[in-house]
Amino acid sequence: MQSLMTQKNKDLLLKIGKQWAVIFFVAEIIFFGLTAKGFFTVNVFQIVLFFGTAVMLMAVAELFVIITGGIDLSVGYVMGLSTIIATKLIVYFSASGMPEFWGIFFGIIITLVLGLIPGLINGLLVSRLNVPPFIATFSMLGISHGVSELLLTEGAAKNLPHLANVIGNGHFLYFVKGGGFSFFARPEVARGVKVFELFPNVVVITLIIVAIFAFVLSKTVFGIHTYAIGGNEDSAIRSGINVKNHITKIYMLSSLLASSAGVIYMLKYVTGKADAGASLLLDSIAAVVIGGACLTGGKGTVWRTILGAVIIAVLETGLRILGIPTFDKYIMVGVILILAVLIDRVFPETTYKE
Amino acid sequence: MKKGLLLVMVLLITFSMSAQLFAGGQQEAEDDGITILFMPGVADPFYYMMEKGIREKGAELGVNIIVAEFPKAWGPEVQVPILEATVAQGGIDMILIAPTAIDALISPLKKLYDQGIEIITVDTFLGNGDYSVDSDYSFPLSYIGSDNEKGGREMAAHLAEMVGEKGKVYINSTNPDVSSVMGRVKGFKEGLEAFPDMELVGIDYNMDVQQKATDQTLGALQKDPDIVGIFGTNLYSSQGAYQAVVNAGLSGAVKLATWDASVDIINALKKGQIDLCLAQKPYEIGSLAVEWGYKFLSAGTKIPAKVIPGFEFFNEGNVNDPEMDKFIYK
Repeated sequence: MQSLMTQKNKDLLLKIGKQWAVIFFVAEIIFFGLTAKGFFTVNVFQIVLFFGTAVMLMAVAELFVIITGGIDLSVGYVMGLSTIIATKLIVYFSASGMPEFWGIFFGIIITLVLGLIPGLINGLLVSRLNVPPFIATFSMLGISHGVSELLLTEGAAKNLPHLANVIGNGHFLYFVKGGGFSFFARPEVARGVKVFELFPNVVVITLIIVAIFAFVLSKTVFGIHTYAIGGNEDSAIRSGINVKNHITKIYMLSSLLASSAGVIYMLKYVTGKADAGASLLLDSIAAVVIGGACLTGGKGTVWRTILGAVIIAVLETGLRILGIPTFDKYIMVGVILILAVLIDRVFPETTYKE
Repeated sequence: MKKGLLLVMVLLITFSMSAQLFAGGQQEAEDDGITILFMPGVADPFYYMMEKGIREKGAELGVNIIVAEFPKAWGPEVQVPILEATVAQGGIDMILIAPTAIDALISPLKKLYDQGIEIITVDTFLGNGDYSVDSDYSFPLSYIGSDNEKGGREMAAHLAEMVGEKGKVYINSTNPDVSSVMGRVKGFKEGLEAFPDMELVGIDYNMDVQQKATDQTLGALQKDPDIVGIFGTNLYSSQGAYQAVVNAGLSGAVKLATWDASVDIINALKKGQIDLCLAQKPYEIGSLAVEWGYKFLSAGTKIPAKVIPGFEFFNEGNVNDPEMDKFIYK
């Protein structure tokens, strides 16, 4: 009887341990819901997601690399570089007479293709030349920063067509009470009439990208191989996986995601900035760890990583509404991070792959 | 497991939806006084001074003043999230904002304007700052701040006089994307044209990092050791440039003209390390903004599209004058 109880308690504890991030998330929402005025609204929910997009994308990038047992320190500055490339390209295209929409479209496509290059170099260095990921991607951080500043010496990256700002700050769906729905364009109503703005464009785009990569990681052979390499590289090689190619692809995927974060930044803020993503590196690694991934590789899921990113974003927005300086956010993220690692140690059984 | 997570999310969204409707009704009910939000550009003495002006005028007129968190760095990616989170509290009638970019703030502010919140830009503006002509960015009621180009021209004239109207000059500025400092640079260049023997040898942008301003100024002094005058376009530029001149041992040989009268700058001026300082009137800008905002919201008084307080110049001669003391940012 006695031992049964302890077993039950142990199971319960284990369950809580497994779900601590979810519990923390709910607790956080309840806390801010009670203390921060106006926190518990769709609007704030959307603000959290809107400003969390960059961290979400970069956290997913980091997740893939971390599952293979590596790390990518270059994501922040690759994002910055992409904001500048995208801005300059689009400004160039519209100056040469291309219609605004197509200028933006092609500018984005080219930026994303160019965004594969830092990852290719990182991947080749790590997989073929056995450079430790920390060093390879740290060098790429410096190189991206340098190239960004170089591009900016000819003039600031700005003056994007207004359409970019409209896309970046627009919503997918607008709803007027008694006036019906409209997509993409804000309905023409008298000023002050309440228009419900739902699903910011950049959040929709981000979630689509995230969903694609969640599918890739959990449902495809590519995903299985990624976990296999992180779990045990030797046995992955023995089982016939082309590990070198796979790792190269992983780093390319990581910098592709970082440049898509850059593109989204460009749409939101209509500027290119070298340090646009510099401060987000830590947040994105924190999101991955809070999401239960392990820096030694082999575990972690996309949706839990996104939960990690949202936990940080909620914290930031909540503290802002309360009027607490965001320096405190850094301290709290640090504490949560330590908590995450400790829980991981206490409950080693909490390995999950979904 | 995934289903559980999904369920929690859906529940939260539904809950928050209903909460919004509820909050909407409540908000209107308690909205009796006038509430004005001040969204500063960056944490520096200039905006602290403006906050003082805003708070004191607000108290005088019985206006509720909310001051948003001071952004740690200059830029829309820092300012916009703070703005949106602060406005989300609800109940705000007017925003006094120093936009940190001429273009990136247009859409976020337009969105708030469309919700019925009035906008006044202080110190910096949207687009070209002319809200009297209809455009994408003409929705703010007014720009209340310095005429930066005029200040730049006056600065050039004062500096030219100090160096005997000839020689090389250098500018250290903050960010080519910010209306106020670009106006100063433009005005300064125009002002220099009146002096054919003076030459502008360089301009650097320190992106509001003082250390970078120091490094850049040292670099410029190395490239052109015969620079006779330096113009720093804001607090960071001025303080950084001043440090570089001191480090290079050139105090006195290079005349330093600075924009913004922080306590540090004034102390340096008293010691003779700096030669000229233009003081804007942040306290007055803040105070005027609240006054006009109050008149508009309470009585519908039309605000001029531009309200421009003047400048004061500090130099060796008047820096100890007690009359000038109120223009120091502190």
